[in-house]
Amino acid sequence: MIDTNVMDIDKFNLWYGEKQALIEVSMNVRKNKVTALIGPSGCGKSTLIRCMNRMNDLVDGCRVEGRMSFNGQDIYDKSTDVMLLRKKIGMIFQKPNPFPMSVRDNITYGPKIHGVTKPDELDEIVERSLRQAALWDEVHDRLEHSALSLSGGQQQRLCIARTLSINPEVILMDEPTSALDPIATSKIEDLAGELQKDYTVVIVTHNMQQAARISDYTGFMYIGRMIEFDRTDKVFSKPSDELTERYITGRFG
Amino acid sequence: MMSDGGSIKKVKKFHHDTVMKYILMAVASVTVLIIFFIILFILGNGIGAVKEVGIWNFLTGFTWKPSIGSYGAMPLITGTILVTVGAILIALPLGLGSAIFISEIAPKRIRNILKPVCEIFAGIPSVVYGFFGLIVLVPLLRNLFPDHLLFGTSWLAGSIILGIMALPTIVSVSEDAMRAVPKSYREASMAMGATRWETTRKVVVPAAISGIAAATILGIGRAIGETMAVMMVTGNSAIIPAPLWNFFEMLRTITATLALEMPDVVSGSTHYSALFLLALVLMLMVLAINFIAKMIIKRSKRKFGDPTVPATSSKKMRAIASAVKNTPRTIWGLMLISVFMMTFILSAVIQSDMLVSFICGIIVAELFLIFTIGILLVPTGDERIPGKLQDTSKRSYMISRYSSKLIRSAVLTGAFVFVWMMASLFADTFVSVLTAFVFLAAMIAVIPLAKRLGSGIREKIAHISLTGVVAVVVLVLIVLIVDIVSKGLPALSFDFIFGYPTDGGLGGGIFPAIVGTIQLVVGTMMIAFPLGIVSGIYLAEYAKNTRSTKIIREAIDILNGTPSVVFGLFGMAALVIFLGVGYALIAGCITLAVMVLPVIIRTTEEAVLAVPKELREASLALGASKWETTMKVVVPAAFGGVVTGLILSLGRAAGETAPILFTAVVVFRSSISFSLADPVMALPYHLYFLASEVPGSTTMQYGTALVLLLLVLFMFAMASVVRYKYNKNIKW
Repeated sequence: MIDTNVMDIDKFNLWYGEKQALIEVSMNVRKNKVTALIGPSGCGKSTLIRCMNRMNDLVDGCRVEGRMSFNGQDIYDKSTDVMLLRKKIGMIFQKPNPFPMSVRDNITYGPKIHGVTKPDELDEIVERSLRQAALWDEVHDRLEHSALSLSGGQQQRLCIARTLSINPEVILMDEPTSALDPIATSKIEDLAGELQKDYTVVIVTHNMQQAARISDYTGFMYIGRMIEFDRTDKVFSKPSDELTERYITGRFG
Repeated sequence: MMSDGGSIKKVKKFHHDTVMKYILMAVASVTVLIIFFIILFILGNGIGAVKEVGIWNFLTGFTWKPSIGSYGAMPLITGTILVTVGAILIALPLGLGSAIFISEIAPKRIRNILKPVCEIFAGIPSVVYGFFGLIVLVPLLRNLFPDHLLFGTSWLAGSIILGIMALPTIVSVSEDAMRAVPKSYREASMAMGATRWETTRKVVVPAAISGIAAATILGIGRAIGETMAVMMVTGNSAIIPAPLWNFFEMLRTITATLALEMPDVVSGSTHYSALFLLALVLMLMVLAINFIAKMIIKRSKRKFGDPTVPATSSKKMRAIASAVKNTPRTIWGLMLISVFMMTFILSAVIQSDMLVSFICGIIVAELFLIFTIGILLVPTGDERIPGKLQDTSKRSYMISRYSSKLIRSAVLTGAFVFVWMMASLFADTFVSVLTAFVFLAAMIAVIPLAKRLGSGIREKIAHISLTGVVAVVVLVLIVLIVDIVSKGLPALSFDFIFGYPTDGGLGGGIFPAIVGTIQLVVGTMMIAFPLGIVSGIYLAEYAKNTRSTKIIREAIDILNGTPSVVFGLFGMAALVIFLGVGYALIAGCITLAVMVLPVIIRTTEEAVLAVPKELREASLALGASKWETTMKVVVPAAFGGVVTGLILSLGRAAGETAPILFTAVVVFRSSISFSLADPVMALPYHLYFLASEVPGSTTMQYGTALVLLLLVLFMFAMASVVRYKYNKNIKW
């Protein structure tokens, strides 16, 4: 089966000031699949994922080179509307970061930014997003409560719902479960699997079991380089690179 | 010690820890006594007027004329409120705009310049602002509005100067609040494709709203208690402007009244006691403002930070809301029309101006509408909500649906009334009403148009206007500094610094004033530092969170917000007259010390409390006593913060005029005296005296202003150096 590529990354380099954080990274993101990025701390996987919707623009002294494209269009081209790009490529962060507003206002924030004003339409979006994020049953009767009153796992699912509210094509998840307990983690993992039907998911994770469990493709990164990128079953069963093998078998460093 | 058999029994009965605790407590209680004495003293002296004039006559009387025994404080209270409102109307948009610019838009380099500049301007003595207002702003206004301003001294001038003075506080505090908004909120918003401006407007500002409210209130507090600057530029006539919004009128504030009348008053007379009562009213106003600030902060915390249920409405409210909701729409419409008609007829009878009455009718009807919709938002538990969301909590659902409309109509009404009021000062009723309508129509037309613009364009417009705001603010500040420096420098000479004034202030130098100011500052330091630091440490480390500690904190907060002129009043009544000290250095020092005491206590306490608990635990876990921990770990760690607070408080003492006005200063001294019982000259008072009483001494005024400015700025520079040094070494 041939999957279509949503994103293509080709010989991508990134510098923070003098320090090069990504070196000649190449990979692609297949449509409606879960792609995992693994690797030790500081290997550049978070940096890479933050390049995909240009969140690294916010970092002073950040410079990129090489090609990264979304549906064939260069993400870093001058003509790219960054706001539109981020609308289409949503992001979930390491720590749940709901706004200090009500649950509802968290969800309607994005649609309102992008021009939805009709209350009925917003109501539908709230319900749909929360259902998709498997949170509706838990919060439907307290939509007006502060989002900060939810538990950590609920907050993270709220953040996912918030991202879903603007119908992105790709959802980037930057270690979305690193701040959560095992039960909340498994809920997020299930969710990532569910989401793959309608969305494309890229997930950065520290946890190799997590990558093995939920992803279709896995990229292993090490000190700024993409060491290996392939189907997850292949990466975990017969990795072609020795570094990868040592990392996934825990014989590292 | 290591091998005494493992006993953990007490060896000594009185550990030094206990002894130190009681010593600290004793010093702290002296402070507390002083604080309560001041409050009681002012209360006690004000009572006389209540008996003789009557509280009702005092508060509602329209004539303040002590010479004929008429003590109606209404014009003074109105004057204070009006000048403050004007100042906030000027300072809030400029301040908030600048804060947003500094925190969200400005590159790091510019932020690093603007932030300290802001703090410098917060430290400029009020008499310097007053001087600038008198010599630059007042003539400028007179030339701008020759038909409206005969002299230039006016409410407008007062509000502009107060606005400039409140600006640094508002900018600095709200910028802090916005910078404290976690980066993750911004990232989350940007990651959804929001522009920087949308993120600022919809996430950062709402998240920082309690800080911004606190900043505004602090600004109001500063404006309301201001004496010298206001006194110099408002014209000081105790009348209520007609119409109430006529900002070209002169007016007189409570603070100015205290400063103007206190020196001539006979102790124990009705006038004397009436002034104390005025001071009480002023303190109560400040208290009320601080109380509101606290409520706002608490509310917004409950709303967002604290994971509790939203507040539920009372039964009564629910009953009313239910009644409103069950009323059919036609009755509603009829009520609306009748409200309009009633206002219209009533207003027409009183004012006999049809157009004005019509407008009044519309405004009241509008307010009625907003109010009823507000009531509709109260949950009654029986709402039918359309669509699928039957389960949602209903009140907030309604609010989220209607609040933006409510706010919009309230803002539009407000804007309409404002434009009308402003226009009516320049044109007749018809033209002004027309202007307001044109303005309203333009707003209504422009708002939807603006919404249709792309978010990128809106962001550009926002950034350009914010940059414009900052440019205006910076320009004003540059004009102020350049004016004083360029005209003050030529006055500086050896003779000016080291000579005595001649020709009643027209010539000579200001040596005795410089020495006097230094004497006052040193004296203040010696009294306030030990008391303040010890009390601060005691409150932070030892005081338990009991009811009495709470009362002490409240009392400190009350004094902290008390306008400086009230301290002057206290100093004069208690020290100069009651204790018979007369105008003397010691009286001035004590008054200033009492004034800065709450600031010192508070900053010390905060610096000490900012030391992380882990540090204390580490020391205590090693077997150190509380006293040892405090002295060897906590205080050294808090040292930078404490010293910064101390220097800042001294800078304030050096620049203050009102507290020494009737306790320590004289116009002229022919020699330097170091006796505590002699009066002194002082720079701020000298500047005030020259500017208001010695025409033709412009050069001397600028010279004095520059010297005062340099002295105060030197202290602030020292404070920043200390803070910078310690912030670099200590980080947590």
